[in-house]
Amino acid sequence: MAEQGAADLGNNNNNKPEASEGTIIKVTVKTPKDKEEIAIAEDASVTQFKEEISKRFKAKQDQLVLIFAGKILKDGDSLSQHGIKDGLTVHLVIKTAHKAADGSSTSASSSTSTQAGNSSASSPAANPAPTTVPTGSGQAPTQTPNIMSGFGDLASLAGLGMGSANFMELQQQMQRQLMSNPEMLSQIMENPLVQNMMSNPDLMRQMIMANPQMQQLMERNPEISHMLNNPELMRQTMELARNPAMMQEMMRNQDRALSNLESIPGGYNALRRMYTDIQEPMFSAAREQVSFGSNPFSALGGNSDSGAQPSRTENREPLPNPWGPPNSSNPSESGGGTTGSTSTSGTTNPSVSNPLGVNPASLGNGMFNSPGMQSLLQQISENPQLMQNMLSAPYMRSMMQSLAQNPELASQVMMNNPLFSGNPQLQEQFRSQLPIFLQQMQNPEALSVMTNPRAMQALMQIQQGLQTLQTEAPGLMPSLMTGGIPGVPTGGAVPAENPASSPSSAATNPAQQQLMQQMLQMFAGGGGSGGGNGTSQTPEVRFQTQLDQLNAMGFINREANLQALIATGGDINAAIERLLGSQPS
Amino acid sequence: MDKNIPRYNVQLYIYDLSRGMARSLSPIMLGKHTAIVAYGDEFFFGGEGISSCSPGGTMLGPPDTVVELGETEVTEEIFMDYLSSLGETTYRGDRYRLFEHNCNTFTNEVAQFLTGRSIPSYITDLPSEVLSTPFGQILRPILDSIHISPPGGNIINGGRNI
Repeated sequence: MAEQGAADLGNNNNNKPEASEGTIIKVTVKTPKDKEEIAIAEDASVTQFKEEISKRFKAKQDQLVLIFAGKILKDGDSLSQHGIKDGLTVHLVIKTAHKAADGSSTSASSSTSTQAGNSSASSPAANPAPTTVPTGSGQAPTQTPNIMSGFGDLASLAGLGMGSANFMELQQQMQRQLMSNPEMLSQIMENPLVQNMMSNPDLMRQMIMANPQMQQLMERNPEISHMLNNPELMRQTMELARNPAMMQEMMRNQDRALSNLESIPGGYNALRRMYTDIQEPMFSAAREQVSFGSNPFSALGGNSDSGAQPSRTENREPLPNPWGPPNSSNPSESGGGTTGSTSTSGTTNPSVSNPLGVNPASLGNGMFNSPGMQSLLQQISENPQLMQNMLSAPYMRSMMQSLAQNPELASQVMMNNPLFSGNPQLQEQFRSQLPIFLQQMQNPEALSVMTNPRAMQALMQIQQGLQTLQTEAPGLMPSLMTGGIPGVPTGGAVPAENPASSPSSAATNPAQQQLMQQMLQMFAGGGGSGGGNGTSQTPEVRFQTQLDQLNAMGFINREANLQALIATGGDINAAIERLLGSQPS
Repeated sequence: MDKNIPRYNVQLYIYDLSRGMARSLSPIMLGKHTAIVAYGDEFFFGGEGISSCSPGGTMLGPPDTVVELGETEVTEEIFMDYLSSLGETTYRGDRYRLFEHNCNTFTNEVAQFLTGRSIPSYITDLPSEVLSTPFGQILRPILDSIHISPPGGNIINGGRNI
């Protein structure tokens, strides 16, 4: 019977499905590099199978090693003996005298396509280039919906504060990753935004003190407030934060000192006491922090404070489960969300190498301005649901508020946004628009628009429409251009990923800025009265007469005037009241 | 069936990274690192490519779970050839993808090669679970750049340094 089968096969040697003695089955033969489907008779022998394979893979039969279900198929066996049926996969290893590469090098090209096919999902996202974050997501198409660019910065600030538990989990893990990946950490540190933040002790102190937990803590432990007020110490701390290597060093030293301390009689108790007194509240304070970088300072501040008594650095509790449910077991809707400390955000669980839960991700606020985050933001903006989630995060609110109250802070942060750092013009524009942003952030209408997925989508469509218009009718755009807001973040930030598009994106900049501005005006000023104003002039132009009048009256602060006018929709009297009432710093 | 074909036992080591000192090492999103143990060695795939070490010899320590995958007739020589091929193509270091092509992908493939069986589905399903959340999708560009490699192994890459 076997001979008959062989004879048959001898006749139809090449994929001619003849349903004669043995039905032809299709068996997938898989090498490390390649995969082919081979049609063979069901009752063929392994030898015959190998013949086919050697033709297809261009290897000698005796180089072929076939494996199925953990068994090596010997020449004398038959396929059915091993249970090889239609659609199953048999593994092939091509033995070469020297390297397996030889035999399968011919299929290398097809293998790359297979590979590409396999990871097609990820290849748009992360090129097979060196997989550093900037390069990998430098792909962020310059078509980033630019609505996010305006909000992008604010969003990035609160980026860590997305209200979904899921995200926080991921975020915590991300932090962990950051922590343990020194390269990433140093990248973050090098980010000018972060550095700038850190080099401003006042800023840091302000942020730290803004946290009610910290305040409590400071009351209870005057040492801490001393520490905060001691500029020297702060600077040192910031140095530390800036230099991850130094930080590690210090941690290590402290660990060592700590273990020494332990051995002293009575030392253990002292340590324990110190730990419970100080470290715990630190932890809980740290945990509740809104992500701003206050975290590492509270942590590190406590750390350097305890330089004399390095008890705080050793964690005696079982380390929490980073993959478990977020530690903050908080009802994320506690209170009106204005306190800003309802849910965890950029907190890190303390770990051995990071006893006080230094939060590099919060340090890495700047990281969120990296192209990686940009594309992230882009995706966020594409998914209005997320916007909604994000904005409904309690501390998003508080962040906005604190930003609004402290425009200097906000402006500082935004100025140092690396996106703008290369473009002072943008900075200027942005700065002038800043108050509008802030106002509009506070405008519940605006918020509701932002949380309304359909509205966001509409906005995005408008954005896209504008862009199309750009390309289709560039002549139209200039008529709309009269200054504006910083538009395309990626245009500035993404290096020559797309050199062709950057000049064009520079050209689209003003128009998009224009759009942004209009949007903002609509939000800030006419949110209540329906955002369908649609004037294609900048507020300056629109309110030209009013501005002149205000000027004549003695309000020489053009910017403030403008904002007031925008806020009041051109109503001079209201604008005057505004100007007189609230003195924007 | 000849019984004198040498057979080699194949095991799957599962490291559950949510506890223990693994935490201070490269954090791993998936929470489960896996490796194949056969021929007295442990093999796994990480950011540097395919690595091997003595069983339980990475910094992760001993595995949390050991799954017996069965026996294979594949000899060590053939297996090393196979690994070399893999290490030059599909499983080069730069092919590491945290979600789609990670240590568990590798383990699954090797398990199938050696024994015809796959590894437990709860491990292979991890990435899709994470990816099915919108945030997983969002974080993907960042996560894609994360490579997980428990230190303590030698790299098998067919002689090429990556």
